[in-house]
Amino acid sequence: MPRKRTDQPSAPVATRASLLEFADAVAVTDAPEPVTPSAPPLHLVTFVLDREEFGIPIGRVREVLRVGDITRVPEAPPHIRGVTSVRGRILPVVELRTRLGLPVLGEPGMRARIIVVEAHGRVLGLLVDAVNQVVNVPADAVLAPPGEVLSAQTDYVTGIGRLDTRLIILLDLDRALLLAAAA
Amino acid sequence: MTGDNAFAELMHEYVGECLPLAEQAADGFLEVERRWNAGQQADDLAPRLKGVVHTVKGNSAMMGLSAAAEVAHATEDLFAALLADPSQREPAALDLLLDGANLLIELVRSATSGKGDAARVTAWVQGVRAQLAGQAPAAMTAPGASSRSSGPEAAVDTVRVDFRRLDALQEIVGEAIIAQSRLRDIQRRMVSHLGFTEESAELDASINAVEKTTQKLEDAVMATRLVSLSGVFGRFARLVRDAAQSSGKQVRLETSGGDTRLDKAIVDRLGEPLVHLITNAVVHGVEREEVRLGRGKTAEAVIRLAAAPVSDGVILTVSDDGGGLDADRIAERARALGLEVNSTAPDAIYPLIFVPGLSTVEAVSSLAGRGVGLDVVASSLHAMGGSITVESAPGRGTRFILRVPVTLAVVRTLLFEVSDERYAIPLAHVVETLRVEDGDIHEINHRGVVLWRGELLPVVDGAALVGAGAIAGEAARKYTVVVHAGTRRRGVLVDRLIGHRSVVAKGLDPALGHTRLVSGTTIMGDGRVTCILDAQRLVDPLPGHTATVLT
Repeated sequence: MPRKRTDQPSAPVATRASLLEFADAVAVTDAPEPVTPSAPPLHLVTFVLDREEFGIPIGRVREVLRVGDITRVPEAPPHIRGVTSVRGRILPVVELRTRLGLPVLGEPGMRARIIVVEAHGRVLGLLVDAVNQVVNVPADAVLAPPGEVLSAQTDYVTGIGRLDTRLIILLDLDRALLLAAAA
Repeated sequence: MTGDNAFAELMHEYVGECLPLAEQAADGFLEVERRWNAGQQADDLAPRLKGVVHTVKGNSAMMGLSAAAEVAHATEDLFAALLADPSQREPAALDLLLDGANLLIELVRSATSGKGDAARVTAWVQGVRAQLAGQAPAAMTAPGASSRSSGPEAAVDTVRVDFRRLDALQEIVGEAIIAQSRLRDIQRRMVSHLGFTEESAELDASINAVEKTTQKLEDAVMATRLVSLSGVFGRFARLVRDAAQSSGKQVRLETSGGDTRLDKAIVDRLGEPLVHLITNAVVHGVEREEVRLGRGKTAEAVIRLAAAPVSDGVILTVSDDGGGLDADRIAERARALGLEVNSTAPDAIYPLIFVPGLSTVEAVSSLAGRGVGLDVVASSLHAMGGSITVESAPGRGTRFILRVPVTLAVVRTLLFEVSDERYAIPLAHVVETLRVEDGDIHEINHRGVVLWRGELLPVVDGAALVGAGAIAGEAARKYTVVVHAGTRRRGVLVDRLIGHRSVVAKGLDPALGHTRLVSGTTIMGDGRVTCILDAQRLVDPLPGHTATVLT
């Protein structure tokens, strides 16, 4: 894998305030630059981490599970929460908060879910605070990632989707899970 | 099915059919060579060998594998010429014949990848043609006619199945076992909440029936995965011949128990350690002819490879009648590596040859041999849940004893709990479990030890090992699990012993990284995943502690 693993958690993606500020700034300038002008809308599964809403393409999601027992695996990398069993198979669970530089919670809450995705040819579970819904975001409502408010390590944000007043951070799963796969 | 797939399938079948044939040819020619060298006849072997090579030739030509077909053809010619004319049976010609069969094995094996060493094929074929040119051309035309009639043995009542399908089948059986243990768990909880009812009794009976069926299914699937060791054993005749030739020794290999059957996954993994041990035995274990004669031994050394089933697996032994291990040299080498050598008894010193680093150093290759990477041999055996020990008698020989399980899939384990986490250790590595009373644990040089069977056994807190909870709980742990692996033993302090369970081991997902401490995972009856700990790692020296070798 091209990226070297760092032990430091990466910086938080962005704060809500900074994103709103960015959106406003873009809004007053002439016509925001759409990422892909005439592309079809994006079907996204959105979920919550900390107080941010994230979206991943629905095509990458195999299923969403309630959180059962997650067994910690000694010596596993820090972004691995552990393993859980799904119908007789063993699924590694990625602590997405660690990967995205957000504070880690102790026990998962009532609304917590595991999103089962395929990345780098492997099936992985992503532990998230809650899963919201499936939304369609028009392609021209996607803004390029605001480089100046994001840290250099956040190359896994492909854009910000705007849906009414909601801002959905679009995740590039392969990049976000690169460390998980490289380990 | 697309045309490409159909072709790939055909190619797969070709390899499946021809590889064993090419291997039979290689073994057969080796036996022919042995007999000819001993001045005996080998004519009785000829028809079958011709038939085998001829079949490979035909199948290769059919698949468009011209290099393999050409090598098979030239091998046929050469063999026929040697059969017809005993004066041709010189070492160079016999080498050519054996090389031909081995080249054929490689070509068949690499058929699916399309990679073949064209230059080697050309060089070899030219060699054969040059050999044949030196004799009467009449002999060259003789072979083909008779070989066609004697094909390989008549078809028996078997089908060839891709081994991956058996792997998949076993995986499914594993899932069934897990689902069933879950059912059993639920039934028990139902009874404890609601008491016995007519329904719970019926449920109990049905689960019993399912359990019996699953057990039969597991046994049946297991039986289909068993293959005999003869395929692996067969490879060693050539290995010993070549190693003996290049080190200028006379060595004979004797094998027994080749019909012992094991899971193919284990047989596949045994090849490399055995190659290692046998090569070592030839190169370093047995003495040169003049030394042997001086010691009153026969000029020809004997290496024995034997296999025999035992109750919980199979025991393989590799023994030689060479000079034996040199305990003083081993001890000296171990001290140089910073190991404490507590004993002078040779039997206590021999196992040190499995310590990493001891046998990998160039300087010890003269250390009665036993060189390169015996630690690697030991760790590959541990990885499959087996073990290796060594016995030696100075001047009389050395014997390596390998114990391997019959199957990898189901592991007998001891389950325990430490700091509210549950773990399993393979029972094969558990010596015993002890209850720890207050004051049993003493501290020597900041290391915990307990007195066990009259020796000081180092102990380590289980929670600290797995990186869970506070080490402060150490004093409160109630049990010591005495674990052994390789040459070391250590006590692991745990909170609670849960009991023995046969579990279906699953590999570790690569996303979990290099967790040396965990060798696999398993799903328990309650649906929770439990990590299976690697015994070797449990007894490894801890950071900041000097290594102690207990013997």
